[in-house]
Amino acid sequence: MPHQLEITLKPDLPDAEGETVKKRASDYLGTTLEQVRVIHVLTIDADLTPAQCEQVQRIFTNPVTQISAFSPLPVDFDWTIWVGFRPGVKDNPGDTARETISEALGIAFKPGQGIYTSRRYCLQAHGLDVEATDRIAAELLANDTIEQWKVLSISQWRGKGGIGVIVPKVQLDHTPTAATIPIESDAALLAVSRERNLALNPNDVPTIRDYFLREAVQAERRTAGLAEPTDIELEYISQVRSDHCNHNTFGGYFRYRDLETGDVQEIDSLFATCIKNPTLALQQQKSWVVSVLWDNAGAARFDDDHCYVITGETHNSPSNMEAYGGAMTGIVGVYRDPMGTGKGARLVMGGYGFCAGYRDYDGDLKPKLHPRRLLDGVIEGVKDGGNKSGIPTTFGQVYFDDGYMGKCLVFVTAIGIMPVLVQGEPAHEKRTSPGDRIVMCGGRVGKDGIHGVTASSEVYSDTTPAGHVQIGDPYTQKKMHDFLLCARDEGLIRFITDNGGGGLSSSVGESAVFAGGCEVWLEKVPLKYEGLDQWEIWVSESQERMTVAVAPEHIDRFFALSADHAVESTVIGHYTDSGKLHIMYDGRTCAYIDLDFMQSDFPQWQFEAEWTPPALRGLCEPVLNSPRNYNRLLCDMLARPNIGSREWIVRQYDHEVQGGSVIKPLVGKDRDVASDAAVTRPVLASERAIAFSQALLPAYSQIDAYHMATCTIDEAVRRVIAVGAPWDAIGGVDNFCWPNIQYDPVTNPDGRFKAAQLVRSCLALRDACEAFGIPLLSGKDSMYVDGHLAGRYEETRKVSALPTMQFSATAVVPDVSRCVTMDVKAPGDFVYIVGVTADELGASEYYAHLGFIGQNVPQVNMAVCRKQYAAVSAAIAQQCLASTHGIYRGGLGIHIALVAMGGMLGMTIDLANVPCAEALSDDRLLFSESPGRFIVTIAPNDRQEAEALFDGCAFACVGMVTDEPVLRITGGNGGRIVETGVDELKQAWKRPFGDLI
Amino acid sequence: MSSDVKALVLTGYGLNCDNETAHAFALAGANVQRVHINALLSKKVTLDDFQIMAFVGGFSWGDDHGAGVIQAHRMQSGIGDDLARFVGRGGLVIGICNGFQTLVNMGMLPGITAGESGSARSVALIANDCGNFRDDWVNLVAEESCPCVFTRGMTTMALPVRHGEGKFYCEAPVLETLRAGRQIVLRYADENGNPANGRFPDNPNGSIDDVAGICDPTGRVFGLMPHPEAYIHFTNHPDWTRQKVLARRAGRPFPDSPVTDGLQLIKNGVDFLRQAGRI
Repeated sequence: MPHQLEITLKPDLPDAEGETVKKRASDYLGTTLEQVRVIHVLTIDADLTPAQCEQVQRIFTNPVTQISAFSPLPVDFDWTIWVGFRPGVKDNPGDTARETISEALGIAFKPGQGIYTSRRYCLQAHGLDVEATDRIAAELLANDTIEQWKVLSISQWRGKGGIGVIVPKVQLDHTPTAATIPIESDAALLAVSRERNLALNPNDVPTIRDYFLREAVQAERRTAGLAEPTDIELEYISQVRSDHCNHNTFGGYFRYRDLETGDVQEIDSLFATCIKNPTLALQQQKSWVVSVLWDNAGAARFDDDHCYVITGETHNSPSNMEAYGGAMTGIVGVYRDPMGTGKGARLVMGGYGFCAGYRDYDGDLKPKLHPRRLLDGVIEGVKDGGNKSGIPTTFGQVYFDDGYMGKCLVFVTAIGIMPVLVQGEPAHEKRTSPGDRIVMCGGRVGKDGIHGVTASSEVYSDTTPAGHVQIGDPYTQKKMHDFLLCARDEGLIRFITDNGGGGLSSSVGESAVFAGGCEVWLEKVPLKYEGLDQWEIWVSESQERMTVAVAPEHIDRFFALSADHAVESTVIGHYTDSGKLHIMYDGRTCAYIDLDFMQSDFPQWQFEAEWTPPALRGLCEPVLNSPRNYNRLLCDMLARPNIGSREWIVRQYDHEVQGGSVIKPLVGKDRDVASDAAVTRPVLASERAIAFSQALLPAYSQIDAYHMATCTIDEAVRRVIAVGAPWDAIGGVDNFCWPNIQYDPVTNPDGRFKAAQLVRSCLALRDACEAFGIPLLSGKDSMYVDGHLAGRYEETRKVSALPTMQFSATAVVPDVSRCVTMDVKAPGDFVYIVGVTADELGASEYYAHLGFIGQNVPQVNMAVCRKQYAAVSAAIAQQCLASTHGIYRGGLGIHIALVAMGGMLGMTIDLANVPCAEALSDDRLLFSESPGRFIVTIAPNDRQEAEALFDGCAFACVGMVTDEPVLRITGGNGGRIVETGVDELKQAWKRPFGDLI
Repeated sequence: MSSDVKALVLTGYGLNCDNETAHAFALAGANVQRVHINALLSKKVTLDDFQIMAFVGGFSWGDDHGAGVIQAHRMQSGIGDDLARFVGRGGLVIGICNGFQTLVNMGMLPGITAGESGSARSVALIANDCGNFRDDWVNLVAEESCPCVFTRGMTTMALPVRHGEGKFYCEAPVLETLRAGRQIVLRYADENGNPANGRFPDNPNGSIDDVAGICDPTGRVFGLMPHPEAYIHFTNHPDWTRQKVLARRAGRPFPDSPVTDGLQLIKNGVDFLRQAGRI
């Protein structure tokens, strides 16, 4: 008989959690609640004696602040809403409660017994009806993807005597079986693929059949007791061949045609042409590039004794379904990549990029989650995932566009640090050898993430696990992280990789290639609950797991350390040199495939790409006369959602843990203006640091994705230079998120154009990285950023995201004491502009503000930029810049205002002195988004030295810093066009999100 | 540096400030060792070998049942007696953030109410009034003539807070006792050093009486929500680039002292023990 413990704050204590619900009900739903109190419920599905119950109650109740009872607590309400997880959803508090109770009572939970947490909200409000209450449950408190809820009025409550006891236990009642798949024809195999959601590419099917029909293969399989392929084998092939794991799109063959000129370009693999080859060439020139293009993250030299490693990922589809769990799984998941790089790296920082619809969207489309709720969930997921991992989240960005209503983007980036040598061997190298044990560490395996989102269409029942959407468990992972670093330092790890997409099928399959084979005993894999089929164990994406190769002589020590750290580790097989991926279950073979089959000649994906230049698409510059009310314009521009302050997000994220914070995400006198980049010391005994920044400029894709990509890279580069990174030793990470590029006349009629955009952006990536000398330390792509949304007439509309590339830049800062921030420091300093302002307002914030796109998209002149960046780096190194800030989205006007707001000092600026390519109107000077530019302030004493360093660059003094905190801008014709208090500017900038916490 | 003072820094089970806390103790001149909670609970390592013990920041056991609650339970039931003996023989204990929450849940702080085994809980650290986790720097003022050994000679300091559950709460008579015993070591203040009077964000969490840190009656057990170990290098301070520019122009050295506020606080503990007769 389950026991249900209710715990809540004493009635006289304010309930902060309840207050947040109250505020959101008012802000989001317009529902006024008088009071919300939250009760935390612990449902213990185990036999406990009254004395044991009392002991549990004592542990989980704080006598100073809380009351509790094994019966419903007498908290007043008009309506009560109970919210609990669906069966099989990761319940982190439930797991720690189980661990604690088991230890405290000295009892072991039997199979099937468990502890579940849930919440009961007690709402008081006049005239609240069932519909409004249900809306609060569905739109604020619970997500039906992972949670269930019950709504009861006080009279219903009295009638039923409470909510009752709900135990979300998984009961599968299923005997694991390995099925065989008929392959008598391509059609038969394709039919099975569809039925089982294998998502096999039709072009791959003949290759797969051919393999299993080969006489030699069949003879070998007979000796192993197999004939036709098993489900586990096909699931494995499907995983390895998926676009997610194999990057078929980027490895595809593109026929690119320019519809204006008729020129045709054939590109055999965008990855090889634009990413791999340029990076390998740069690695030859740059000795600090240590390991790229093969491991979970790229490695670069930090100092004589350390390398840093970096990678970036996206977690878009899961976050779109369940924002909190999806984003959390994203950040916690990307943190396993550095852990699984070389022999393992310690995590030192993380970054994020969120793209979503507008928070105040009130149009016709009905996404699963309203953009505001989605963004709230994403922010919270990265908060809990990052903060609880003990890794500082030092940089991030948020971008709003209606195109992300179809699918949001959640970028997550991770940086780790590793010693150059572990027990005398290079830490960035790893390999498996025959005889090494295959060890799975960390969490257990359930039905989580199997077939990703395709599972979402399955019908729920009360006991089927809703595991396809996952919730990360940073606590379990943090324990594993600490353990694995100890094991690494003792030299116990020969190979390590994470279990992410594809689960064991990827991690074991890839690691077995080094040794030349493996034998896996699937029945050894620890499960969350019984009843999983063999193929499910093999491909499950249950989180917080690493696969490690341990030499037999190190197994005892490895397991002793694992026990010391309270981490579960299990030997699940061993590596061989058989050439085979051999999987067994209870002694019977259920998979037997040649490892090199996956390297065989599967057909390359083919794409037609057709580029229609902007003018042919009818894009042109707007007809626009210069405005007169610049004070108002500047304030309104500052208040645009894509420019306004993101302080509310930054403050939720621990950006200082680990003690190495040098430049924080918020800087300035009031510590509330966004920094160009973050700087962090990963090695506390060193004065060296890592500078890190990210950029994304998807709006430019509306005109030309080539310039979107070059401008994005340029922005990320300028950001790290602005804080003091050396311009000539920058590493990059590219993360592409693109709508579907496979043409289909009905479902994707503009597929060829989207393919051309992808080709152009990849060529731009190559060009910019070559020009700036940036090796791509890591990168990923996520295709299919499209969604089908219900509209107001019950139709569905396809919504595709803007082609988006996030670019991350890193560099090692040799001496942190030389770093600078963007805020003005002292009155009397001179304000200079570096770089040329041109008539480049196409897809700018200013044009968007007025409802235009335009045609003159900003373009990067890389040769000119290089010279300017070298000068900025030199000037910072010689300490002659008091502040340095890049000019980014919104242009000079916005960024002059931000620099002034940073120091809370005034400025007088004369636009007539701004270096420009041609005579430009005031609004163009203020809001052009020309790349390559900086605003720097310089003390009178340092002026001469600085001017000498910038010799030959576009570099001009445009004004002065004033004590009086007022921004005064003189226009080209000599008249004062802006005169606004810096306070007022800041208020405007904080207007969109300033009341969020 | 002399290695006569031995410091134990806890690690494991979701704690995450162990490396920088250990680094801070090393900078303060201690011989420091990071020790996994399990090593203490299993008695592989005993407190007998140490003079200072640090309960560090993090999310022990995920902190899902009230911050520090599970850690407090495990430590109390596992080595509660050892801890009492450790403090009894003159050992110092500092609890930072999650460590403070743990000491409070063990009753070691404020250590004024007798319980079944050692002290009972009399104060609590609960969810911030703002309803969210918050990372920000705060100004702190130290209680004058306070018994706490860690803040000796310090009047004001700047440190970061990073927590979701840092609101100090207790009932009025307990608060009176703490005031009378000068056990309220640190209070949140404005930039001029005046008490924040509950005003957000100077008081970042809604703590009653602006309480940021307290000690036990002996002054040798100290807990605080702000993170001294996160201000052990001059570049940790959010305003350092500005201060550097202004100092350079005024011809002043920068940084003016190699010892930051956070390091001073840790160093006070180490120096206290190093004084003759204490170790």
